[in-house]
Amino acid sequence: MRRLGYILLLCWLSCADDPGSGAEFAAILHPADNPPTEAGIRVGRHLFFDPALSADSTISCASCHRPELAFTDGKKTAVGIGGRPGVRNTLGLTNVGYFHHPLFWDGRAESLEAQALHPIHTPHEMGGSWPEVIRRLSDDPAYVARFRSAFGAATIDSVLVGRALAQFQRSLISRDSKYDRVQRGEARYTPAEQLGHALFFDLGDDAAGPYANLPTAECAHCHTPPHFTNQGYENNGLDEADDLNAFSDPGRGAISQNVYDNGRFRTPGLRNVALTAPYMHDGRFATLEEVVDHYNSGGHYAENRSPNVHPLALDAEQKSALVAFLHTLTDTAFVQAAVTSSEDPR
Amino acid sequence: MDDDDVREVVEQELTVAFRAEYGGEPLRIQSEAYGYPTGDSLKMLLFQYYMSDLAIRDGSGREEYVINEIDLLRWNSANDDGTIERTYKVLLPEGEYGDLSFGLGVKPTLNAIDPNNFPADYVLNENEFWGAQTRYVFAKIEANALLEEDGRFDTGLTYHMGSDSLYTRISLQQPFTVRDGANSRITVVVDVLDALSKNGETLDITDPAKQAVHGGNQAVANGVWKRLSESFRLEVD
Repeated sequence: MRRLGYILLLCWLSCADDPGSGAEFAAILHPADNPPTEAGIRVGRHLFFDPALSADSTISCASCHRPELAFTDGKKTAVGIGGRPGVRNTLGLTNVGYFHHPLFWDGRAESLEAQALHPIHTPHEMGGSWPEVIRRLSDDPAYVARFRSAFGAATIDSVLVGRALAQFQRSLISRDSKYDRVQRGEARYTPAEQLGHALFFDLGDDAAGPYANLPTAECAHCHTPPHFTNQGYENNGLDEADDLNAFSDPGRGAISQNVYDNGRFRTPGLRNVALTAPYMHDGRFATLEEVVDHYNSGGHYAENRSPNVHPLALDAEQKSALVAFLHTLTDTAFVQAAVTSSEDPR
Repeated sequence: MDDDDVREVVEQELTVAFRAEYGGEPLRIQSEAYGYPTGDSLKMLLFQYYMSDLAIRDGSGREEYVINEIDLLRWNSANDDGTIERTYKVLLPEGEYGDLSFGLGVKPTLNAIDPNNFPADYVLNENEFWGAQTRYVFAKIEANALLEEDGRFDTGLTYHMGSDSLYTRISLQQPFTVRDGANSRITVVVDVLDALSKNGETLDITDPAKQAVHGGNQAVANGVWKRLSESFRLEVD
Protein backbone atom coordinates (compact mmCIF):
# COMPACT_ATOMS: atom_id res chain seq x y z
CA MET A 1 0.00 0.00 0.00
CA ARG A 2 2.81 2.37 0.90
CA ARG A 3 4.52 1.54 -2.37
CA LEU A 4 1.31 2.34 -4.23
CA GLY A 5 1.11 5.66 -2.47
CA TYR A 6 4.65 6.49 -3.49
CA ILE A 7 3.96 5.57 -7.10
CA LEU A 8 0.87 7.77 -7.06
CA LEU A 9 2.94 10.62 -5.67
CA LEU A 10 5.50 10.29 -8.44
CA CYS A 11 2.73 10.27 -11.04
CA TRP A 12 1.23 13.33 -9.40
CA LEU A 13 4.57 15.11 -9.34
CA SER A 14 5.47 14.20 -12.89
CA CYS A 15 2.12 15.45 -14.19
CA ALA A 16 1.94 18.49 -11.99
CA ASP A 17 3.67 20.96 -14.27
CA ASP A 18 2.85 19.46 -17.62
CA PRO A 19 1.70 22.24 -19.93
CA GLY A 20 -0.28 19.72 -21.87
CA SER A 21 -2.42 18.86 -18.88
CA GLY A 22 -4.18 22.20 -18.84
CA ALA A 23 -1.87 24.16 -16.57
CA GLU A 24 -3.47 27.27 -15.16
CA PHE A 25 -0.20 28.72 -13.95
CA ALA A 26 2.76 30.34 -15.58
CA ALA A 27 5.68 28.06 -16.26
CA ILE A 28 7.44 27.18 -13.04
CA LEU A 29 10.91 28.59 -12.66
CA HIS A 30 13.73 26.11 -12.52
CA PRO A 31 17.25 27.52 -12.16
CA ALA A 32 19.49 26.63 -15.07
CA ASP A 33 21.91 24.90 -12.71
CA ASN A 34 19.20 22.91 -10.98
CA PRO A 35 16.81 21.41 -13.49
CA PRO A 36 14.31 19.01 -11.94
CA THR A 37 14.75 15.28 -12.29
CA GLU A 38 12.82 12.43 -10.81
CA ALA A 39 15.94 11.36 -8.91
CA GLY A 40 16.54 14.91 -7.68
CA ILE A 41 13.00 15.29 -6.39
CA ARG A 42 13.25 11.89 -4.74
CA VAL A 43 16.45 12.68 -2.83
CA GLY A 44 15.00 16.05 -1.87
CA ARG A 45 11.98 14.30 -0.50
CA HIS A 46 14.13 11.91 1.53
CA LEU A 47 16.03 14.84 2.99
CA PHE A 48 12.83 16.78 3.73
CA PHE A 49 11.50 14.03 5.97
CA ASP A 50 14.84 13.01 7.49
CA PRO A 51 15.61 14.15 11.09
CA ALA A 52 19.28 13.47 10.45
CA LEU A 53 19.51 17.03 9.23
CA SER A 54 19.07 18.36 12.78
CA ALA A 55 21.77 18.47 15.43
CA ASP A 56 20.20 15.79 17.63
CA SER A 57 18.36 13.93 14.86
CA THR A 58 14.98 14.77 16.36
CA ILE A 59 13.40 17.05 13.82
CA SER A 60 13.19 17.23 10.07
CA CYS A 61 11.94 19.90 7.70
CA ALA A 62 8.58 18.14 7.94
CA SER A 63 8.44 18.68 11.70
CA CYS A 64 7.50 22.28 11.01
CA HIS A 65 6.26 21.80 7.45
CA ARG A 66 3.69 19.09 8.09
CA PRO A 67 2.00 17.82 4.93
CA GLU A 68 -1.43 17.46 6.56
CA LEU A 69 -1.34 21.17 7.44
CA ALA A 70 -0.33 22.24 3.94
CA PHE A 71 3.27 22.19 5.13
CA THR A 72 2.80 24.35 8.23
CA ASP A 73 2.86 23.26 11.88
CA GLY A 74 -0.24 24.62 13.58
CA LYS A 75 1.88 26.58 16.08
CA LYS A 76 2.02 30.32 16.66
CA THR A 77 5.74 30.25 16.08
CA ALA A 78 7.95 27.38 15.07
CA VAL A 79 9.61 25.14 17.65
CA GLY A 80 13.08 23.80 16.97
CA ILE A 81 15.31 21.15 18.54
CA GLY A 82 14.99 20.72 22.26
CA GLY A 83 11.78 22.73 22.24
CA ARG A 84 13.64 25.93 21.41
CA PRO A 85 11.09 28.58 20.48
CA GLY A 86 11.32 30.19 17.09
CA VAL A 87 10.44 33.77 16.38
CA ARG A 88 8.08 33.49 13.45
CA ASN A 89 5.14 31.49 12.22
CA THR A 90 5.94 28.69 9.79
CA LEU A 91 5.06 29.58 6.22
CA GLY A 92 3.35 27.00 4.04
CA LEU A 93 5.00 25.61 0.95
CA THR A 94 2.04 25.36 -1.42
CA ASN A 95 3.16 26.44 -4.91
CA VAL A 96 6.35 27.91 -3.47
CA GLY A 97 8.17 27.01 -6.68
CA TYR A 98 6.29 29.72 -8.53
CA PHE A 99 7.65 32.50 -6.36
CA HIS A 100 10.55 34.35 -7.88
CA HIS A 101 10.98 37.09 -5.31
CA PRO A 102 12.90 36.52 -2.05
CA LEU A 103 11.52 34.05 0.48
CA PHE A 104 10.84 33.92 4.25
CA TRP A 105 8.68 36.48 6.03
CA ASP A 106 11.48 39.01 5.69
CA GLY A 107 12.78 38.03 2.26
CA ARG A 108 16.22 37.00 3.44
CA ALA A 109 16.62 34.12 0.97
CA GLU A 110 16.85 34.85 -2.72
CA SER A 111 15.80 31.39 -3.85
CA LEU A 112 14.61 28.01 -2.65
CA GLU A 113 18.16 26.74 -3.01
CA ALA A 114 19.35 29.48 -0.66
CA GLN A 115 16.37 29.13 1.67
CA ALA A 116 16.99 25.44 2.20
CA LEU A 117 20.41 26.17 3.70
CA HIS A 118 19.14 28.36 6.54
CA PRO A 119 17.33 26.05 9.01
CA ILE A 120 20.18 23.51 9.27
CA HIS A 121 22.40 25.81 11.32
CA THR A 122 19.85 28.16 12.83
CA PRO A 123 20.02 27.50 16.60
CA HIS A 124 16.25 27.61 17.18
CA GLU A 125 15.49 25.44 14.17
CA MET A 126 17.67 22.40 13.44
CA GLY A 127 20.54 23.76 15.45
CA GLY A 128 23.27 21.81 13.74
CA SER A 129 26.16 22.41 11.43
CA TRP A 130 26.73 21.73 7.79
CA PRO A 131 29.95 19.73 8.29
CA GLU A 132 28.12 17.36 10.62
CA VAL A 133 25.13 17.01 8.29
CA ILE A 134 27.37 16.36 5.31
CA ARG A 135 29.33 13.79 7.32
CA ARG A 136 26.14 11.93 8.23
CA LEU A 137 24.83 11.93 4.69
CA SER A 138 28.19 10.90 3.27
CA ASP A 139 28.39 8.01 5.72
CA ASP A 140 25.04 6.70 4.51
CA PRO A 141 25.55 4.57 1.38
CA ALA A 142 21.91 5.01 0.42
CA TYR A 143 22.27 8.80 0.32
CA VAL A 144 25.54 8.55 -1.58
CA ALA A 145 23.78 6.45 -4.19
CA ARG A 146 20.81 8.80 -4.33
CA PHE A 147 22.95 11.90 -4.79
CA ARG A 148 25.01 10.13 -7.45
CA SER A 149 21.82 9.19 -9.24
CA ALA A 150 20.38 12.67 -8.98
CA PHE A 151 23.42 14.82 -9.61
CA GLY A 152 26.13 12.46 -10.83
CA ALA A 153 28.20 13.61 -7.90
CA ALA A 154 30.48 11.42 -5.82
CA THR A 155 30.70 14.04 -3.10
CA ILE A 156 27.74 15.37 -1.18
CA ASP A 157 27.85 19.03 -0.18
CA SER A 158 25.49 21.70 1.07
CA VAL A 159 24.89 23.04 -2.42
CA LEU A 160 23.55 19.70 -3.58
CA VAL A 161 21.45 19.32 -0.45
CA GLY A 162 19.94 22.73 -1.11
CA ARG A 163 19.29 21.87 -4.73
CA ALA A 164 17.61 18.58 -3.85
CA LEU A 165 15.38 20.19 -1.25
CA ALA A 166 14.50 22.95 -3.70
CA GLN A 167 13.55 20.42 -6.36
CA PHE A 168 11.26 18.65 -3.94
CA GLN A 169 9.61 21.89 -2.84
CA ARG A 170 9.04 22.97 -6.44
CA SER A 171 7.07 19.78 -6.91
CA LEU A 172 4.49 20.86 -4.29
CA ILE A 173 1.89 22.15 -6.70
CA SER A 174 -1.71 22.77 -5.78
CA ARG A 175 -4.27 23.59 -8.43
CA ASP A 176 -7.36 21.59 -7.62
CA SER A 177 -9.04 23.61 -4.93
CA LYS A 178 -12.71 24.39 -5.26
CA TYR A 179 -11.65 27.87 -6.33
CA ASP A 180 -9.70 26.30 -9.21
CA ARG A 181 -12.60 24.06 -10.14
CA VAL A 182 -14.96 27.01 -10.20
CA GLN A 183 -12.51 28.88 -12.41
CA ARG A 184 -12.48 25.90 -14.76
CA GLY A 185 -16.26 25.66 -14.77
CA GLU A 186 -16.23 22.32 -12.98
CA ALA A 187 -17.89 23.45 -9.75
CA ARG A 188 -20.12 26.16 -8.38
CA TYR A 189 -19.74 28.31 -5.32
CA THR A 190 -22.33 28.25 -2.61
CA PRO A 191 -24.08 31.61 -2.20
CA ALA A 192 -21.82 32.45 0.74
CA GLU A 193 -18.66 31.53 -1.19
CA GLN A 194 -19.89 33.57 -4.16
CA LEU A 195 -20.43 36.58 -1.93
CA GLY A 196 -17.01 36.08 -0.38
CA HIS A 197 -15.45 35.90 -3.85
CA ALA A 198 -17.13 39.18 -4.76
CA LEU A 199 -15.82 40.82 -1.60
CA PHE A 200 -12.32 39.42 -2.01
CA PHE A 201 -12.03 40.71 -5.57
CA ASP A 202 -13.77 44.06 -5.00
CA LEU A 203 -16.58 43.33 -7.43
CA GLY A 204 -18.57 46.04 -5.69
CA ASP A 205 -16.39 48.51 -7.60
CA ASP A 206 -18.38 47.75 -10.74
CA ALA A 207 -21.27 50.19 -10.49
CA ALA A 208 -23.12 48.40 -13.27
CA GLY A 209 -22.44 44.88 -12.03
CA PRO A 210 -24.45 42.53 -9.84
CA TYR A 211 -22.48 43.49 -6.74
CA ALA A 212 -22.75 47.26 -7.10
CA ASN A 213 -22.58 48.97 -3.72
CA LEU A 214 -21.16 45.88 -2.02
CA PRO A 215 -18.24 46.86 0.23
CA THR A 216 -14.81 46.03 -1.10
CA ALA A 217 -12.57 43.91 1.09
CA GLU A 218 -9.40 44.95 -0.78
CA CYS A 219 -7.82 41.50 -0.38
CA ALA A 220 -6.62 40.90 -3.93
CA HIS A 221 -4.41 43.98 -4.07
CA CYS A 222 -1.84 41.98 -2.13
CA HIS A 223 -3.25 38.44 -2.23
CA THR A 224 -3.25 38.36 -6.00
CA PRO A 225 -4.27 35.20 -7.86
CA PRO A 226 -3.29 32.67 -8.99
CA HIS A 227 -1.12 32.08 -5.92
CA PHE A 228 -2.83 34.75 -3.85
CA THR A 229 0.29 36.73 -3.09
CA ASN A 230 1.97 39.69 -4.73
CA GLN A 231 5.27 38.44 -3.26
CA GLY A 232 5.73 41.90 -1.82
CA TYR A 233 6.25 43.23 1.70
CA GLU A 234 3.51 45.09 3.46
CA ASN A 235 2.69 46.56 6.82
CA ASN A 236 -0.86 45.31 7.24
CA GLY A 237 -1.55 47.29 10.38
CA LEU A 238 -0.86 44.66 13.02
CA ASP A 239 0.88 46.98 15.48
CA GLU A 240 0.50 50.62 16.42
CA ALA A 241 3.74 52.48 15.77
CA ASP A 242 4.07 56.23 15.83
CA ASP A 243 7.79 55.60 15.50
CA LEU A 244 8.92 53.14 12.85
CA ASN A 245 11.69 52.03 15.21
CA ALA A 246 9.10 50.83 17.69
CA PHE A 247 8.25 47.51 16.02
CA SER A 248 9.32 44.61 18.20
CA ASP A 249 10.01 42.61 15.04
CA PRO A 250 11.25 44.85 12.24
CA GLY A 251 10.56 42.21 9.60
CA ARG A 252 11.78 43.28 6.18
CA GLY A 253 13.56 46.25 7.71
CA ALA A 254 16.08 43.99 9.40
CA ILE A 255 17.13 42.69 6.00
CA SER A 256 16.94 45.87 3.94
CA GLN A 257 18.42 47.97 6.77
CA ASN A 258 15.80 50.52 5.88
CA VAL A 259 13.68 51.88 8.72
CA TYR A 260 10.78 52.45 6.33
CA ASP A 261 10.58 48.68 5.85
CA ASN A 262 10.19 48.06 9.58
CA GLY A 263 6.95 46.29 10.35
CA ARG A 264 6.65 45.00 6.81
CA PHE A 265 6.39 41.27 6.12
CA ARG A 266 6.07 39.19 3.02
CA THR A 267 2.54 38.69 1.78
CA PRO A 268 1.90 34.96 2.23
CA GLY A 269 0.09 32.98 -0.43
CA LEU A 270 -3.41 31.96 0.59
CA ARG A 271 -3.73 28.61 -1.12
CA ASN A 272 -4.77 26.09 1.55
CA VAL A 273 -4.99 28.96 4.03
CA ALA A 274 -7.79 27.26 5.98
CA LEU A 275 -5.24 24.59 6.95
CA THR A 276 -2.43 26.91 7.97
CA ALA A 277 -3.67 28.51 11.21
CA PRO A 278 -2.58 30.38 13.20
CA TYR A 279 -1.96 33.45 11.08
CA MET A 280 0.41 36.37 10.61
CA HIS A 281 4.17 36.38 11.04
CA ASP A 282 3.81 35.80 14.77
CA GLY A 283 0.74 33.57 14.66
CA ARG A 284 -1.30 36.05 16.67
CA PHE A 285 -4.61 35.20 15.05
CA ALA A 286 -5.94 31.73 15.75
CA THR A 287 -8.67 31.69 13.14
CA LEU A 288 -9.59 33.13 9.78
CA GLU A 289 -12.45 34.91 11.52
CA GLU A 290 -9.93 36.80 13.63
CA VAL A 291 -7.97 37.68 10.51
CA VAL A 292 -11.05 39.06 8.80
CA ASP A 293 -11.97 41.01 11.93
CA HIS A 294 -8.51 42.56 11.88
CA TYR A 295 -8.78 43.73 8.29
CA ASN A 296 -12.35 44.87 8.83
CA SER A 297 -11.10 47.14 11.60
CA GLY A 298 -8.51 48.77 9.36
CA GLY A 299 -5.68 47.75 11.61
CA HIS A 300 -3.36 49.94 13.62
CA TYR A 301 -1.52 53.07 12.63
CA ALA A 302 1.98 53.31 11.32
CA GLU A 303 2.98 55.66 8.56
CA ASN A 304 4.02 52.76 6.35
CA ARG A 305 0.77 50.83 6.81
CA SER A 306 -0.47 49.77 3.40
CA PRO A 307 -3.04 52.31 2.20
CA ASN A 308 -5.08 49.35 1.02
CA VAL A 309 -5.66 48.44 4.68
CA HIS A 310 -8.47 50.59 6.03
CA PRO A 311 -11.82 50.05 7.76
CA LEU A 312 -14.01 47.91 5.51
CA ALA A 313 -17.44 48.13 7.14
CA LEU A 314 -18.23 44.47 6.44
CA ASP A 315 -21.24 43.13 8.30
CA ALA A 316 -21.41 39.72 9.97
CA GLU A 317 -22.76 37.98 6.88
CA GLN A 318 -20.09 39.49 4.69
CA LYS A 319 -17.29 38.55 7.08
CA SER A 320 -18.60 35.02 7.20
CA ALA A 321 -18.79 34.94 3.42
CA LEU A 322 -15.19 36.03 3.13
CA VAL A 323 -14.14 33.15 5.36
CA ALA A 324 -16.26 30.78 3.27
CA PHE A 325 -14.43 31.93 0.16
CA LEU A 326 -11.05 31.41 1.82
CA HIS A 327 -12.04 27.82 2.50
CA THR A 328 -12.50 27.29 -1.23
CA LEU A 329 -8.72 27.66 -1.57
CA THR A 330 -8.23 24.31 0.17
CA ASP A 331 -6.95 21.61 -2.16
CA THR A 332 -7.80 18.34 -0.47
CA ALA A 333 -6.19 16.24 -3.21
CA PHE A 334 -2.91 18.12 -2.82
CA VAL A 335 -2.85 17.61 0.92
CA GLN A 336 -3.88 13.97 0.73
CA ALA A 337 -1.20 13.19 -1.83
CA ALA A 338 1.39 14.91 0.34
CA VAL A 339 0.26 12.99 3.41
CA THR A 340 0.30 9.70 1.55
CA SER A 341 3.81 10.30 0.32
CA SER A 342 5.01 11.26 3.77
CA GLU A 343 3.90 7.94 5.19
CA ASP A 344 6.68 6.19 3.31
CA PRO A 345 9.52 8.67 3.03
CA ARG A 346 12.07 6.04 2.20
CA MET B 1 17.58 56.45 -54.17
CA ASP B 2 19.94 59.00 -52.68
CA ASP B 3 23.03 57.38 -51.18
CA ASP B 4 22.57 59.62 -48.17
CA ASP B 5 19.42 57.70 -47.32
CA VAL B 6 21.30 54.43 -46.85
CA ARG B 7 22.53 54.26 -43.28
CA GLU B 8 24.20 51.24 -41.78
CA VAL B 9 22.13 49.58 -39.09
CA VAL B 10 24.37 48.33 -36.30
CA GLU B 11 23.87 47.28 -32.72
CA GLN B 12 23.88 50.33 -30.50
CA GLU B 13 23.70 50.76 -26.76
CA LEU B 14 20.98 53.14 -25.77
CA THR B 15 20.33 53.96 -22.14
CA VAL B 16 16.94 55.29 -21.25
CA ALA B 17 16.70 56.66 -17.74
CA PHE B 18 13.24 56.85 -16.24
CA ARG B 19 13.05 59.51 -13.58
CA ALA B 20 10.07 59.89 -11.31
CA GLU B 21 9.60 63.19 -9.59
CA TYR B 22 7.29 64.83 -7.12
CA GLY B 23 6.95 68.56 -7.54
CA GLY B 24 10.04 68.73 -9.73
CA GLU B 25 12.33 66.83 -7.35
CA PRO B 26 13.39 63.19 -7.62
CA LEU B 27 10.74 60.98 -6.07
CA ARG B 28 11.51 59.65 -2.62
CA ILE B 29 9.40 56.80 -1.36
CA GLN B 30 8.31 57.29 2.26
CA SER B 31 11.29 59.36 3.32
CA GLU B 32 9.87 62.71 2.17
CA ALA B 33 6.72 64.42 3.39
CA TYR B 34 5.44 66.20 0.31
CA GLY B 35 3.23 69.23 0.26
CA TYR B 36 -0.04 69.12 -1.65
CA PRO B 37 -2.03 71.99 -3.14
CA THR B 38 -4.94 71.49 -0.72
CA GLY B 39 -2.55 72.41 2.09
CA ASP B 40 -2.19 68.82 3.22
CA SER B 41 0.86 66.61 2.93
CA LEU B 42 1.53 63.05 1.94
CA LYS B 43 4.16 60.35 1.84
CA MET B 44 4.44 58.28 -1.31
CA LEU B 45 4.53 54.50 -0.92
CA LEU B 46 4.26 53.33 -4.50
CA PHE B 47 4.42 54.67 -8.01
CA GLN B 48 4.54 52.39 -11.02
CA TYR B 49 3.49 52.18 -14.63
CA TYR B 50 3.66 49.75 -17.50
CA MET B 51 5.16 50.95 -20.75
CA SER B 52 4.56 49.26 -24.11
CA ASP B 53 6.48 49.47 -27.38
CA LEU B 54 9.11 51.97 -26.39
CA ALA B 55 10.34 53.31 -29.72
CA ILE B 56 12.42 56.05 -31.22
CA ARG B 57 11.93 57.72 -34.59
CA ASP B 58 14.69 59.11 -36.74
CA GLY B 59 15.06 62.78 -37.50
CA SER B 60 13.30 62.45 -40.84
CA GLY B 61 10.29 61.00 -39.08
CA ARG B 62 10.19 58.11 -41.53
CA GLU B 63 11.77 55.23 -39.61
CA GLU B 64 10.67 54.00 -36.21
CA TYR B 65 12.69 51.52 -34.16
CA VAL B 66 10.99 49.63 -31.34
CA ILE B 67 13.53 49.07 -28.58
CA ASN B 68 11.41 47.37 -25.92
CA GLU B 69 8.01 45.70 -26.06
CA ILE B 70 6.89 45.84 -22.44
CA ASP B 71 8.32 46.98 -19.13
CA LEU B 72 7.21 47.89 -15.65
CA LEU B 73 8.77 50.89 -13.95
CA ARG B 74 8.26 50.67 -10.21
CA TRP B 75 9.27 52.80 -7.23
CA ASN B 76 8.19 51.18 -3.96
CA SER B 77 11.10 51.30 -1.57
CA ALA B 78 12.84 54.05 0.34
CA ASN B 79 16.02 52.48 -1.00
CA ASP B 80 14.94 53.25 -4.58
CA ASP B 81 16.65 55.99 -6.47
CA GLY B 82 14.37 58.42 -8.24
CA THR B 83 15.86 57.23 -11.52
CA ILE B 84 15.62 53.73 -12.96
CA GLU B 85 17.94 53.03 -15.87
CA ARG B 86 17.47 50.55 -18.67
CA THR B 87 20.21 49.92 -21.22
CA TYR B 88 19.01 48.47 -24.50
CA LYS B 89 21.09 46.89 -27.25
CA VAL B 90 19.21 47.65 -30.41
CA LEU B 91 19.85 47.65 -34.15
CA LEU B 92 19.89 51.28 -35.16
CA PRO B 93 21.69 53.50 -37.62
CA GLU B 94 23.88 56.21 -36.18
CA GLY B 95 22.35 59.62 -36.52
CA GLU B 96 19.81 62.11 -35.39
CA TYR B 97 16.53 61.12 -33.81
CA GLY B 98 13.66 63.35 -32.98
CA ASP B 99 11.04 61.43 -31.09
CA LEU B 100 10.67 58.86 -28.34
CA SER B 101 7.29 57.24 -27.91
CA PHE B 102 5.65 54.54 -25.84
CA GLY B 103 2.27 53.32 -24.82
CA LEU B 104 1.35 54.16 -21.24
CA GLY B 105 -0.04 50.88 -19.99
CA VAL B 106 -0.17 47.39 -21.46
CA LYS B 107 -0.97 47.45 -25.16
CA PRO B 108 -4.25 45.75 -26.10
CA THR B 109 -2.59 42.77 -27.80
CA LEU B 110 -0.72 41.93 -24.60
CA ASN B 111 -3.55 42.99 -22.34
CA ALA B 112 -5.63 40.25 -23.94
CA ILE B 113 -3.16 37.49 -23.08
CA ASP B 114 -3.47 35.34 -19.97
CA PRO B 115 -0.39 36.04 -17.82
CA ASN B 116 -0.07 32.32 -17.20
CA ASN B 117 1.15 32.04 -20.78
CA PHE B 118 4.31 33.85 -19.73
CA PRO B 119 7.11 32.65 -17.45
CA ALA B 120 6.46 33.23 -13.77
CA ASP B 121 9.15 35.91 -13.60
CA TYR B 122 8.09 37.77 -16.75
CA VAL B 123 7.29 41.43 -16.36
CA LEU B 124 3.61 40.67 -17.01
CA ASN B 125 3.63 38.27 -14.07
CA GLU B 126 4.40 40.84 -11.40
CA ASN B 127 0.96 40.24 -9.87
CA GLU B 128 -0.48 43.45 -11.22
CA PHE B 129 -3.80 41.90 -12.15
CA TRP B 130 -7.34 43.03 -11.59
CA GLY B 131 -8.44 39.46 -11.01
CA ALA B 132 -7.98 35.89 -12.09
CA GLN B 133 -9.39 36.42 -15.56
CA THR B 134 -9.16 40.15 -15.94
CA ARG B 135 -5.94 41.74 -17.00
CA TYR B 136 -3.39 44.24 -15.96
CA VAL B 137 -3.34 47.23 -13.68
CA PHE B 138 -1.47 49.71 -15.88
CA ALA B 139 -0.38 52.18 -13.24
CA LYS B 140 -0.58 52.64 -9.49
CA ILE B 141 -0.11 55.59 -7.20
CA GLU B 142 -0.28 54.87 -3.47
CA ALA B 143 0.39 57.26 -0.62
CA ASN B 144 -0.55 58.00 2.95
CA ALA B 145 -1.80 61.50 3.58
CA LEU B 146 -1.72 63.74 6.61
CA LEU B 147 -5.09 65.50 6.56
CA GLU B 148 -5.43 66.53 10.19
CA GLU B 149 -3.12 68.30 12.56
CA ASP B 150 -2.22 65.15 14.44
CA GLY B 151 1.04 64.36 12.68
CA ARG B 152 -0.33 61.09 11.37
CA PHE B 153 -0.15 60.04 7.74
CA ASP B 154 -3.18 57.86 8.21
CA THR B 155 -5.38 58.45 5.19
CA GLY B 156 -4.64 56.01 2.41
CA LEU B 157 -4.66 57.18 -1.18
CA THR B 158 -4.72 54.42 -3.77
CA TYR B 159 -5.18 55.02 -7.46
CA HIS B 160 -5.06 51.84 -9.54
CA MET B 161 -5.80 52.30 -13.22
CA GLY B 162 -5.86 50.15 -16.31
CA SER B 163 -8.09 49.21 -19.22
CA ASP B 164 -7.85 49.14 -23.00
CA SER B 165 -9.76 52.39 -23.13
CA LEU B 166 -7.17 54.12 -20.93
CA TYR B 167 -4.18 52.90 -22.94
CA THR B 168 -2.46 56.01 -24.25
CA ARG B 169 0.31 56.45 -26.80
CA ILE B 170 2.74 59.13 -25.72
CA SER B 171 5.14 60.86 -28.08
CA LEU B 172 7.93 63.04 -26.75
CA GLN B 173 9.66 65.25 -29.32
CA GLN B 174 13.21 66.23 -28.57
CA PRO B 175 16.25 65.88 -30.87
CA PHE B 176 18.95 63.48 -29.74
CA THR B 177 21.87 61.72 -31.33
CA VAL B 178 22.87 58.08 -31.45
CA ARG B 179 26.57 57.56 -32.25
CA ASP B 180 28.25 54.29 -33.15
CA GLY B 181 30.15 52.83 -30.24
CA ALA B 182 28.87 55.36 -27.74
CA ASN B 183 26.29 54.63 -25.10
CA SER B 184 23.67 57.25 -25.83
CA ARG B 185 21.51 58.34 -22.93
CA ILE B 186 18.14 60.01 -22.74
CA THR B 187 15.81 60.52 -19.80
CA VAL B 188 12.06 60.11 -19.57
CA VAL B 189 10.65 62.20 -16.73
CA VAL B 190 7.25 62.03 -15.11
CA ASP B 191 5.99 63.92 -12.08
CA VAL B 192 3.60 62.13 -9.72
CA LEU B 193 2.25 65.42 -8.41
CA ASP B 194 1.15 66.27 -11.94
CA ALA B 195 -1.04 63.18 -11.96
CA LEU B 196 -2.87 64.52 -8.93
CA SER B 197 -2.74 68.22 -9.62
CA LYS B 198 -1.98 69.87 -12.94
CA ASN B 199 -3.21 72.74 -15.08
CA GLY B 200 -5.49 74.07 -12.38
CA GLU B 201 -7.12 70.69 -11.77
CA THR B 202 -6.42 69.39 -8.28
CA LEU B 203 -7.74 66.10 -7.03
CA ASP B 204 -9.34 66.80 -3.66
CA ILE B 205 -7.63 64.17 -1.53
CA THR B 206 -9.69 65.23 1.49
CA ASP B 207 -12.83 63.93 -0.22
CA PRO B 208 -13.26 60.25 0.75
CA ALA B 209 -14.89 59.60 -2.61
CA LYS B 210 -11.65 60.60 -4.30
CA GLN B 211 -9.17 58.72 -2.16
CA ALA B 212 -9.30 55.42 -4.02
CA VAL B 213 -9.68 54.10 -7.52
CA HIS B 214 -9.78 50.32 -7.70
CA GLY B 215 -11.55 49.59 -10.93
CA GLY B 216 -14.63 51.66 -10.23
CA ASN B 217 -14.70 55.40 -9.74
CA GLN B 218 -13.67 55.90 -13.34
CA ALA B 219 -14.32 59.63 -13.37
CA VAL B 220 -11.46 60.03 -10.92
CA ALA B 221 -9.38 57.43 -12.78
CA ASN B 222 -9.78 59.25 -16.08
CA GLY B 223 -8.62 62.52 -14.56
CA VAL B 224 -5.58 61.03 -12.87
CA TRP B 225 -4.69 59.08 -16.00
CA LYS B 226 -5.02 62.09 -18.29
CA ARG B 227 -2.84 64.24 -16.08
CA LEU B 228 -0.31 61.44 -15.68
CA SER B 229 -0.05 60.88 -19.43
CA GLU B 230 0.41 64.60 -20.01
CA SER B 231 3.19 64.82 -17.46
CA PHE B 232 5.87 62.90 -19.36
CA ARG B 233 8.73 64.79 -20.91
CA LEU B 234 12.06 63.89 -22.49
CA GLU B 235 15.45 65.17 -21.42
CA VAL B 236 18.56 64.73 -23.50
CA ASP B 237 21.88 64.57 -21.69
